[in-house]
Amino acid sequence: MNPLADIYTGGRNGFSEVWANKVRSLLSMSGIILGVAALVAMVGIVQGMLSNMRDSFERGGGILKLEVHSQEAPEAQQHIAGISPGMTWRDITAIQDSTPLAAYLTPIVDMNWERFIANGRREGALLHGITPDFISIQNRSIEYGRFISDTDIAYKSPVIVIGSHIRQRLFRDTENAVGKQLRIRGQVYTIVGQFENMDNSVAGQKRFSWENRYNYIPATTAMSRYKGNDEVNRIEILAGRVEELPDLIEQIENTLTQTHRGIKDFEIRTQEENLKEMQKLEHSFTYSLGGIAGISLLVGGIGIMNVMLASVSERIREIGVRKAIGARSHDIFLQFLAEAVVISVVGGLMGLALSVGLLGLARDIVPNGQAINIVPVSAMIYGFLFSTGIGLASGIYPAIRASRLDPIEALRYE
Amino acid sequence: MTERADIFQLTDIRRTYKVGSELVHALDGVDLQIQEREFIAVIGTSGSGKSTLMHTLGFMDSPTSGTMIFEGNDVSAISRGQRAQLRASRIGFVFQAFNLLPRLTVLDNVLLPLTYSRRRVLDQQARGMEALERVGMAHRASHTPNQLSGGERQRVAIARALINEPRLILADEPTGNLDTKNRGRIMELFASLLDEGITLALVTHDNEVAEYAKRRIRMQDGLIVEDSAR
Repeated sequence: MNPLADIYTGGRNGFSEVWANKVRSLLSMSGIILGVAALVAMVGIVQGMLSNMRDSFERGGGILKLEVHSQEAPEAQQHIAGISPGMTWRDITAIQDSTPLAAYLTPIVDMNWERFIANGRREGALLHGITPDFISIQNRSIEYGRFISDTDIAYKSPVIVIGSHIRQRLFRDTENAVGKQLRIRGQVYTIVGQFENMDNSVAGQKRFSWENRYNYIPATTAMSRYKGNDEVNRIEILAGRVEELPDLIEQIENTLTQTHRGIKDFEIRTQEENLKEMQKLEHSFTYSLGGIAGISLLVGGIGIMNVMLASVSERIREIGVRKAIGARSHDIFLQFLAEAVVISVVGGLMGLALSVGLLGLARDIVPNGQAINIVPVSAMIYGFLFSTGIGLASGIYPAIRASRLDPIEALRYE
Repeated sequence: MTERADIFQLTDIRRTYKVGSELVHALDGVDLQIQEREFIAVIGTSGSGKSTLMHTLGFMDSPTSGTMIFEGNDVSAISRGQRAQLRASRIGFVFQAFNLLPRLTVLDNVLLPLTYSRRRVLDQQARGMEALERVGMAHRASHTPNQLSGGERQRVAIARALINEPRLILADEPTGNLDTKNRGRIMELFASLLDEGITLALVTHDNEVAEYAKRRIRMQDGLIVEDSAR
């Protein structure tokens, strides 16, 4: 007895049977084809999205970034909460002066969605007030002109650094809008810098980025022109090294406790939480998509089992003949099992080919789609192995039924 | 005259089936000796036990009791796997309905038993063509069974039975689906196999077919009631 020879014979018989019934085999494969294609395509798309999120996270300072947000004073301090001035420009100068571990620091003064007007055109986009360190924290690149300078901060200059969205909408004929003017809420700003277009940062690939819709003015300008006070919405700080983070957090906490007169109405957020959230999201995506694809493959497997059971019923007499001329039960078992495996393997391979097509399509139509890898190898390997496993499992029962047929009864079957 | 060796020796073979709550004695104490190069016709009415006897001789079924010696070995209680091995290597089957696999070519049908006999055959194709030559069907090797006449199909089925060089060929109503002309041809083909040292046993209702055999066994109620040689 040679198990390899038996498997080879079973596989050859199985393959010739699949080949002889192409349409039926293709129909029974359809569940597996779609299941594998859906699994691989979904994993590929999600991996692409997550990769974008990771890129964005890294661009935004990554794990080294800290954010200070306002929060309500704790219960015990509620009655004296009024003595705190809240988060103000004073916090910025205090941190600058007393926190040497802060490599970069910027306040964010939120203006939110503003209407930008120039050349008789109007366009909505986001506007924030910041300081020069912002560009280092966010790791952005200026394509034309310069970023906000210390002088702009000191003189509350009416200058703006725009993203590519505003340039495209308001200054269509000009590649470089530096030196031109625009208006926001009736105030005139001179464009001193223009960010690189994130949409076209990868040659030949479409890329959509919200970052293109962000525009920045000096924080002091935003405060004096629109807010009428020196409040800031949050502070972003970049540490020099990861090991310095605990000390940096302590320094900031001490400094702000002083400037807020002992009231704990601020919160220092690390990116670790965001990272954890992102990892949680990644896991939940992976498991939920894996579950959905698993169920669709299971349905595909049931389809194969159904077809194989029908095939056994159709070929009872053939099974009788094969047994009469010397096939053992396990030869018949292997033949039918091999048929199911051939269906699932071929279906799996076709599913993989389809998934490449789907991912290519998704790359073209999904925002930020260039991050989608059209050949997610690990997903393909898992998808293929899982579909083969499903085929194997779904072939076992029909194969057992076929192998247990009595040759005499099978030969009498009409 | 040379002494011919025994192929089969059956002693008090019984085969009992349970049909519902009733016991059916398909073979009820059969004693039979078959020697090599014998041509035996098993005749009898429906339900007489002739098919059960053929299935027992062909290792498709095993007796409920009794002793069965095949080529000097006791095979009364061998396993299903051993029976399959004997079917593959020592027995050839010819059926009334030919039972060729319609999706395979004539040659592939003939080669099918080699798959299961696990015998190392270097040039299987040549062996298959040789078997087809013997039955005069080599020119139809690449056809499918559906493209053949009844007589041709039965010739192919005989070639399939011959491919593993069996000691015994069992034929169940091999001419049942054939016209008179083809019936004669097939029986002559069977008769010619005796010269090659093959033993033949066929089940038939047809007395004319039984006339070709040198020995006639009549069965009734699971027993051999007549065993005559010509």
